[in-house]
Amino acid sequence: MNARIVLLALGNPERGDDGAGPAVAARLRGRLPAGVALRLCDGDLLGQIETWRDLEALVCVDASAPQGEPGRIRRLDPGADGLFRDISLTSSHGFGLAEALGLARTLGLAPPRVVVYALEGSRFTPGAPLSGAVAAALDGLAARLLDELVRLAAKAPARS
Amino acid sequence: MTTKRIRVDYMARVEGEGSLDLHIEGDRVVAARLGIFEPPRFFEAFLRGRGHAEVADMVARICGICPVAYQMSAVHALENAFGVRVEGQLRALRRLLYCGEWIESHALHVVMLHAPDFLGYPDAIRMAAGHGDRVRDALALKKAGNSIIRLLGGREIHPVNVRVGGFYRVPSRAELAPLAEELDRARDIAVGLVRWVAGFPFPHIERDYEFVALRHPHEYPLNEGRLVSSRGLDIDIADYETEFEERQVPHSTALHSHLKRRGAYLVGPLARYALNFDRLPEHIRALAGEVGLGPLCRNPFQSIVVRALEILYACEEALAIIAAYRPPDMACVPLEPRAATGFGCTEAPRGTLWHRYELSADGSVEAARIVPPTAQNQPSIEADLEAVATSLLDQPEEVIRRRCELSIRNHDPCISCATHFLKLSVHRA
Repeated sequence: MNARIVLLALGNPERGDDGAGPAVAARLRGRLPAGVALRLCDGDLLGQIETWRDLEALVCVDASAPQGEPGRIRRLDPGADGLFRDISLTSSHGFGLAEALGLARTLGLAPPRVVVYALEGSRFTPGAPLSGAVAAALDGLAARLLDELVRLAAKAPARS
Repeated sequence: MTTKRIRVDYMARVEGEGSLDLHIEGDRVVAARLGIFEPPRFFEAFLRGRGHAEVADMVARICGICPVAYQMSAVHALENAFGVRVEGQLRALRRLLYCGEWIESHALHVVMLHAPDFLGYPDAIRMAAGHGDRVRDALALKKAGNSIIRLLGGREIHPVNVRVGGFYRVPSRAELAPLAEELDRARDIAVGLVRWVAGFPFPHIERDYEFVALRHPHEYPLNEGRLVSSRGLDIDIADYETEFEERQVPHSTALHSHLKRRGAYLVGPLARYALNFDRLPEHIRALAGEVGLGPLCRNPFQSIVVRALEILYACEEALAIIAAYRPPDMACVPLEPRAATGFGCTEAPRGTLWHRYELSADGSVEAARIVPPTAQNQPSIEADLEAVATSLLDQPEEVIRRRCELSIRNHDPCISCATHFLKLSVHRA
């Protein structure tokens, strides 16, 4: 069966707290509801956009930049929370999640439901492990993601 | 006398960070400097003492857009040092891998970074509202290129399957078959892309570049050839250092390359095309003529058309390689390390990429030298800026600034490779 919902875990596990996405994905592997696929992405988001075309929902999980509360989990609705405001494509090096979602929306490739979970990091040093605050938040983040995905899977129409 | 300074601190849609200072005194541009302030990255020093088997994976880290180019120049140089040639299907697979990189890198630059300039959009996201089909096409092209790199390289960015002597694993014919389906569609998209970009409004300017590129007896150059120029240079790649030199300048952390006898030169799509037009298939030459591009193009703004033609070429070359593919008996030819110096030179999407390695008896690296295309093009980019700004001195600063930014993007500079954004300053006196 084709996946109707994708959990997209973003980040580089070799860059400290940037590895939060892959780390929470590892906790959810094998526990996802039917119709939900897990994808990892540590680089080229442009290449992901076309694959969103026929999805019912896209749930993204990524580390966010330090804002003084390491380990805090934020749930964002990109449209309502202004994630698309003032975005511009300045370079492929600067092509982040907001730019990818903005471009997908403009092209009509964004799924009807897009949710972003951001786990605030504090240390992004190459080769460093996850910080204590981020590691401690992973179980709670996994539980919230699983709840979200179960709700979305229940609403999404079945596909043969 | 009036003086004027135009400044763009962080120019968009280039790979990396840099700045530009333009100084105008009266009716004369007295200085046009492409400043690169990204810290030096010391890759040549990192390589010292490393085993030859580590080099391909290390140099791939120099660039996320063109890692294959770095891998190819490196393995060719090391094989040259060890007296080994990689032929047949292994050579063809390397060429296929390189086609993947040309397709994805050129598609990204042509549509997502460069086209908005000509159509008056600040970026590709805004452009997508009016030209959604073209942006979707670019994504499809990039996906096709990435598919090649993922299959042959093990992953899309910083591939891990290239080794000195060949690959760690080679694909079956069945594994290549889906690529052909994707590339068939990509080829059609590329033809449409050539026609689309050829219709852009190009500023009228011609520059008297000395073009430098590889030239191969039979092929449009990717992996090998002699280094030739439009002013008679024709040398083995091992003789590069007798003809070219790098100089340090105060305003750039990337070395500037010059021809010792003549100064600035240009590598990249315009140079490859001018020096290898006869190596393109006849129907691609015909398409170039149909859209108004002759065998020689000296207008840097039309480099976007040449890149689109090169995407088409890479799609067709990839399809031909896949059609003729028979898996080789071995994924890698045997080699014996020895104390020697080896040279490698290949055509990265942005131009000629030259490597030299001095190796000890156990094959470890004693010294390395890497000359990336953007470092080579810096003096010509600055000369372009002077010429472009001189032609616009009576125009408002905003016009000069925009045209100068476009002028830099003509060469798709990868500042990170050369040492990221452009800071443009124009000073009028």
